[in-house]
Amino acid sequence: MARLFNFNQFKLINKYALRDFSRSYKKLWVITSTLFVSLLLLSLTFSVKEALNSEIENNSKELLGGDFQVTSGIDPLPDEIIDQFKALGEVSSTIEFATMLSKEGESPVFTELRAVDNRYPLYGAIETRPQIASERIFVRSEKPSVLINESIQKLLKLNLGDDVVIMGQQFEVAGLVSSVPDLVESAVFGEFAIISMESYEKFGLNSGGSFLDHEYRIKFNNSNQVEEQEEFLRSIVAYDDSIETLLPGESGQSLSRVIDNFSNFLNLVSVSAMVIAGIGISNTLLSFVNQNNTSVAVKKSIGFSSSFIQTMYFYEILLILILTSVIAYLIGVFSPLLANELLPKTLGIDLKPTFSFLGFLNIFFIGLLVVLIFSIPSLYSISEIKAGALFRNTFNPVSLNFSLKNILLLIVLIVVLVAYFVFQTEQKFYTVLYFVAFFVTIFIFYGVSKLLILLMKNVYKFSNNSYRIAYRNIVAKKSLAPIMTISLGIGLTLLLTLSFVANNLKKEISDSIPSMAPDLFFVGIDRDIQSNLESFIKGVDPNVELEFSPMASASFISLNGIPIEEVVSESNRSAWVVEGDRRISWSEKPKPDNPIIEGEWWELGNENEMFISMDSRAAYDLGMKINDKITLNILGRDVTGVVKNFREVDYRDISINFAIIINKAFANKLPYEYVGTLKSELSSSDILAKVVEKFPNVSAIKIDRILSQVSDVLNKVFIAVTAISLIVIVIGLIVIVSAVLVQTTFRRYNNLIYKILGVDFPTILKAMTMEFAVIYGTLIFFALTVAVISSYLVVENTLQLSWQFDLGLTLWILVSTALVSFILILLANRSIFSPKVYPLIRNE
Amino acid sequence: MSAAIQFNNVSLSYGIKDDAVEVLKAINFSVESEEVISIVGPSGSGKTSIIMLASGLETATKGSIKINSQEIVGLKENELSEVRRKNIGIVFQSFYLIPNLTAVENVSLSLEANQQFNLEKDAENLLDEFGLSHRFHHLPSELSGGEQQRVAIARALINKPKIILADEPTGNLDSANSDSMMDLLFDYTKKSQTSLVIVTHDNSIANRCDRIVEIRDGEIV
Repeated sequence: MARLFNFNQFKLINKYALRDFSRSYKKLWVITSTLFVSLLLLSLTFSVKEALNSEIENNSKELLGGDFQVTSGIDPLPDEIIDQFKALGEVSSTIEFATMLSKEGESPVFTELRAVDNRYPLYGAIETRPQIASERIFVRSEKPSVLINESIQKLLKLNLGDDVVIMGQQFEVAGLVSSVPDLVESAVFGEFAIISMESYEKFGLNSGGSFLDHEYRIKFNNSNQVEEQEEFLRSIVAYDDSIETLLPGESGQSLSRVIDNFSNFLNLVSVSAMVIAGIGISNTLLSFVNQNNTSVAVKKSIGFSSSFIQTMYFYEILLILILTSVIAYLIGVFSPLLANELLPKTLGIDLKPTFSFLGFLNIFFIGLLVVLIFSIPSLYSISEIKAGALFRNTFNPVSLNFSLKNILLLIVLIVVLVAYFVFQTEQKFYTVLYFVAFFVTIFIFYGVSKLLILLMKNVYKFSNNSYRIAYRNIVAKKSLAPIMTISLGIGLTLLLTLSFVANNLKKEISDSIPSMAPDLFFVGIDRDIQSNLESFIKGVDPNVELEFSPMASASFISLNGIPIEEVVSESNRSAWVVEGDRRISWSEKPKPDNPIIEGEWWELGNENEMFISMDSRAAYDLGMKINDKITLNILGRDVTGVVKNFREVDYRDISINFAIIINKAFANKLPYEYVGTLKSELSSSDILAKVVEKFPNVSAIKIDRILSQVSDVLNKVFIAVTAISLIVIVIGLIVIVSAVLVQTTFRRYNNLIYKILGVDFPTILKAMTMEFAVIYGTLIFFALTVAVISSYLVVENTLQLSWQFDLGLTLWILVSTALVSFILILLANRSIFSPKVYPLIRNE
Repeated sequence: MSAAIQFNNVSLSYGIKDDAVEVLKAINFSVESEEVISIVGPSGSGKTSIIMLASGLETATKGSIKINSQEIVGLKENELSEVRRKNIGIVFQSFYLIPNLTAVENVSLSLEANQQFNLEKDAENLLDEFGLSHRFHHLPSELSGGEQQRVAIARALINKPKIILADEPTGNLDSANSDSMMDLLFDYTKKSQTSLVIVTHDNSIANRCDRIVEIRDGEIV
């Protein structure tokens, strides 16, 4: 690189590089295309992520609906506290709860209902169709109005002005909610409705159950001294640990985390694409060097040094990198406009293209690292070209140069690349693991190629010409079989792994869960009506499978006296167990499907002491041990209990499961409600309609509806992941072609000699088929093994699903990849089937 | 006057231990400044190896080689490149023009290797002298064998090297082309006071040289 700083040398390098570039661009298409596609993928990911994060940051107050939010859960805040809020600014209160919304003749739907006052939202606006509909819910009339989202409208086939029933009261549909400023998951993915606070009060609920949430938003009168006001508000509500406060910027955190996780996945896929592209770059450069073997030797004979020639080729690659990264970045900058079309409109998010030079440098730097890593072994092969060969007319193909110096340099560059990615993600462990697995796979396939050559040498007993030619091509000194094996092996492994993971996930959603899951999930059932409800349902269907469990709300305070925030980080896999309100249950005996794996169940009785049974996975993640002391806030009172055992809980069957179970004797003193599940041979919609008619306050979720919502979301994710995988696969195929190109010059020469010696076309074709079959056949076993192990680990450990092998899918992938690859190889090799004798005679 | 090329007890062998093939066996010879010599001998005798060693494109197993008094045995690749750039022009039997460069560009390459830029005019003048004024911007594939070799010679001479090494320069040409090519090479060498070493099987070419060095089984006879 020091050579570039000598101006005259730089001018010369620039001149040669541009001239070579303009005359050899066809040979550089593999580098240009693979670099461009992988940089584009990276750029799209970065741009959309940046745009989303900046949208969330810029609209943080709208996303919260105020300058400060207080959530008090089931119980409203005392009036004196709200008065203190009002002293600071405008206050808007909302209540959220789950209930059933029905239309005569249609099965009721489980709906997230939000009751709002006329000051809501303090920032932003409720977008409705028609536009004035949001005001109509506050107009006093005999029949109150409700705003529904599109999902409810479709499910119940509702029109404006139609009547619906909520908790026994009739409402008129005033309009459709397009979006609310604060992100509401149910508004985007489920069923969501808005009524006025006045209408809510008419329900006359004594207790809305544990699914009720009171929220208060404050808009400060004084926009200065915001931090002091926030501190003051926190001190007002500090008397109750279960009261949560939220600041602008924190409201979009869950969405940010989802975005970060997904973009992290995309980044890893992008960098995989780039690393595979890197293999293509390496192959192409090696092919380029070999094709220019004579020119390089001539330049050396004239007095150019190897390092000058290497710098010249590297400069060419650098020009391609600059060109492709600029174009990829510019396209990426505008990708948020496309993302706006794909994101649900209900999110109310409007992404804007933002150009940042730092963003470009980010893409360019990653591209540069990959280019350096993969071009060094190829370009250093130039030093192996001997100008003395010009006297002898004998040119040997050079192979990748892995000198000790190069290996050390590569290790440093790889560490920088991995570290650069790891420091940008929150999931550091998985990122490192991914990179390690990826590079180990590359080495496995390098080892496979060497093993293949060794085995072939030991079983050499061929009498057929085609077999002999195939054998010689594979075992020849400086054979190119390793490059082919690595390129094909990585591509096939990635394809198999992604397909296995996707297939297992799809199977779980479409087959396993529905067969195990109940039909209905009842929530927030008042304990006074539980036995009547149970009798009523059994009257409708005597064979029904019903299960009810008591439930109370609690929040996690401390573990062994240490505040839980200090013990558990937000990135902990089981942080959800200790964050916010958690539903707990109790029982006298352990559930048969919750086997105890550590500790023992408690003795009956002992109503003054709380014993705790924990979900084993959460317990291990949170670092708990048997006999640890946990403090829970139950109904405003801190209660400390002892951990007695860990249970293995499988949440996949969607039956009633709790992360925390306490002893019944202690829990008998607590106010509680029930949750329940129902599985019936009869139509769950019919049963639900009858139940809601008889018990208007009962809410139930239809599991098939939830599953279809999950499937819808998953299908969209699958489309995105498949599209991204396809890009990786396309790059993989280009890489395979580049591997073939590496061989073209020498194969053409060899075939020319065979032709002169009288070997016919079918023999050469058969030899090529044999060679491909041997290499592909060998790597199938290893690609399959790596794919099975990695997909098993992802499916069983990360997704917590049961892994299954699909022979049909495997065969389909193996055969189709083989066919596509072989056809591509034949096409790329078409020039070697009928080599012209004249250039050989002319030494061209 | 010091020798342009000086070989002292130079040996060259390929392979290792028992399998080693001794190509040159402790040879001693020198080429004086402005001297024109030919190296003759049967195939495999070691003729080409001598000019490979002299050009620094092969490393001697033993002995000392001096180019214009500079010891080149033991030099690094970059240093050898510099010696070649400043002292030596090479003409190959198979021309070896760079296929994607025009005739002028192929010749200019030598100048540029020596950090002499924007001298295409010099390249054109030399090609003009060699009767190739109508072929300046043609690619090698568009030139005949004789034309290609004239471009190759121009490439070797453009830098005004002190030594020209030519390996069977007419081996791929017919007799008419061969004669005119050698006239060109001899005239230019004389004019520019350059040493010339020609490896050849052609006695008529060898006889035109100041001295003939015969080599047999790796030894000068």
